[in-house]
Amino acid sequence: MSSPEELDLGLGLLDHQLVDSEGRRCGNVDDLELEGVREGSPRVVAILVGPPVWRGRGRLGRLAAWLAPGQTVRIPWEEVEAIDSAVHLKRTSQELRLGRGDDRARRWVDWIPGS
Amino acid sequence: MRASELLNLEVRTESGQRLGRAHDLRAELTTRSLKVTGICVGTRGLLERLGIRSPESSGRAHAHDVVPWSAVLRADRRGIVVRDGTKPK
Amino acid sequence: MKKIFQIALGILAAIGGFVDIGDLVFNVQAGAKFGYELLWVVVVGVVGIIVYSEMCGRVAAVSKRPVFDAIRERLGFGVGLGALIASEIVNLMTLAAEVGGVALVLQLLSGLPYRVLILVGIAGLAVAIWVAPFDWIERIFGYGGLALLVFAVGAVKLHPDWGSVSHGFVPHVSSSDKLVYAYFAVGLLGAAMTPYEVYFYSSGAVEEGWTPKDIGLNRANSMIGYGLGGFLSFALMITAGALFLPLGIEPELIGTVALGAQVPLGAIGLLLALVGILFAVGGAAIDTCFSGAYNLAQFFGWEWGKYRRPSGAPRFTLAWLALLGLALLVIMSGIDPVLLTEYAVIFSVVALPLTYIPILLVANDRSYMGRYVNGRLANALGLFYLVVIGLVALSAIPLMILTNQGQG
Repeated sequence: MSSPEELDLGLGLLDHQLVDSEGRRCGNVDDLELEGVREGSPRVVAILVGPPVWRGRGRLGRLAAWLAPGQTVRIPWEEVEAIDSAVHLKRTSQELRLGRGDDRARRWVDWIPGS
Repeated sequence: MRASELLNLEVRTESGQRLGRAHDLRAELTTRSLKVTGICVGTRGLLERLGIRSPESSGRAHAHDVVPWSAVLRADRRGIVVRDGTKPK
Repeated sequence: MKKIFQIALGILAAIGGFVDIGDLVFNVQAGAKFGYELLWVVVVGVVGIIVYSEMCGRVAAVSKRPVFDAIRERLGFGVGLGALIASEIVNLMTLAAEVGGVALVLQLLSGLPYRVLILVGIAGLAVAIWVAPFDWIERIFGYGGLALLVFAVGAVKLHPDWGSVSHGFVPHVSSSDKLVYAYFAVGLLGAAMTPYEVYFYSSGAVEEGWTPKDIGLNRANSMIGYGLGGFLSFALMITAGALFLPLGIEPELIGTVALGAQVPLGAIGLLLALVGILFAVGGAAIDTCFSGAYNLAQFFGWEWGKYRRPSGAPRFTLAWLALLGLALLVIMSGIDPVLLTEYAVIFSVVALPLTYIPILLVANDRSYMGRYVNGRLANALGLFYLVVIGLVALSAIPLMILTNQGQG
């Protein structure tokens, strides 16, 4: 990209699907970590994913965070490859420690024959 | 600080004039960074947040009702305070 | 040539799939109570679902994203989660009612005890989904559901007063029992515009890898598929109006519905009707079940897909299995499937605005849709139906209470 593109964080980034380098869906953008707010030059430094992050997303968010298992995953902004309707990442979900819920669930599903 | 903590904060001038709520954060995306450049305020900002675009604009961003971050004096959990005389454009 | 064949197959399979237990119950009860007077409401409902499913299909083809993604993106985490919870509750009620309907039909066909057949039904659905490739499932249940066309034949054979029938297509309000009339109008609209169909359709479109080239196909699919589903609904209502209304029968049982085909066409009519109901409702159960799993997966960002191997989308797989399990518990509690259907349809009506507002918003977003954004016609229709949906959503529960669920 040569010219800077404008993006609205709430509409264009927050709550959007995360897709890894292999095209695998691996979570949503649950929140964004900002730096430089006090200094007057705020920028997004990381994407935050995971149930504990939902605590900041309202009352239902706090309830959901309390009920759901899982940990926060922090994805540094440098890991973002491209943004369209989803956020595409440079590496695999394995490397970024995303989509672990699916890994845990797979152990159960594998018990059933024919999966 | 997190984006969720900034969104929906009330935006006021130094002298107390209320400009509205921060419905969204306008940012500039480059190959290396994503910098926040402004705050979308007011009721127009709400329509933007839901995704209704006015016919003149193209792409994701709206030119209207954005307070540039350069006008921000303070932004914390209590709210966002901007310089007097700031008008969203 | 092959493409035309494929389209025809898809549409044929879809017709059978567009009539579910909600349509069956409300169309037949409305016909038994008001004859042909509510036929125009079915038309309104069918046009509504065509408008919105076309939008969803277009959104899926252009953005490669299903509708429920838009709900979280546009409404935010909190409201989106509320919408998710509401839609899961309604999904579960609908699914339980459909499983109950399947068990009732199996009971009429086999004479075996109802509770046993609930287990048979659930197990059969689970095994079918697990083992069979999804195209096969859609075809088997879709073609099986086509047996419902027997009601169209039967309706003609009953010699209804076609003058009255055509008058029923003109929008009007009944002269008697206005509240009950309104209740059935609301129920018919809810049964025609069920959210789970929209979620399922849009997720399916993304899985099939639709691109903007498929937009024409999308339009044809929506119009012909739902149009013919509407045709089946007319047949049900006309049958009920011609047969049950003069006799004062208020059908509360699935068996009574099947009578609608037996009286004009004899034993073969009864058999085809039961088979048609079995496959239409069974197919709808599968769609509902997946829709519930799609919504969960799409809200939380999990991997999803009906065409994948179960281990390719583990949480999605566990989600639909869990939904079947919960539906089993609900229907085993002994609740009457027809009564549960009525509640499910009315509650889904209340949740309709939360479903359709994001669709309309996203279909208008140029950054999502590029030049495929809603044109003036789509927006005019979309807004009109949003108003209709809003009115209907507000009045659904009051009407249900005031009319004691249509008993009057």
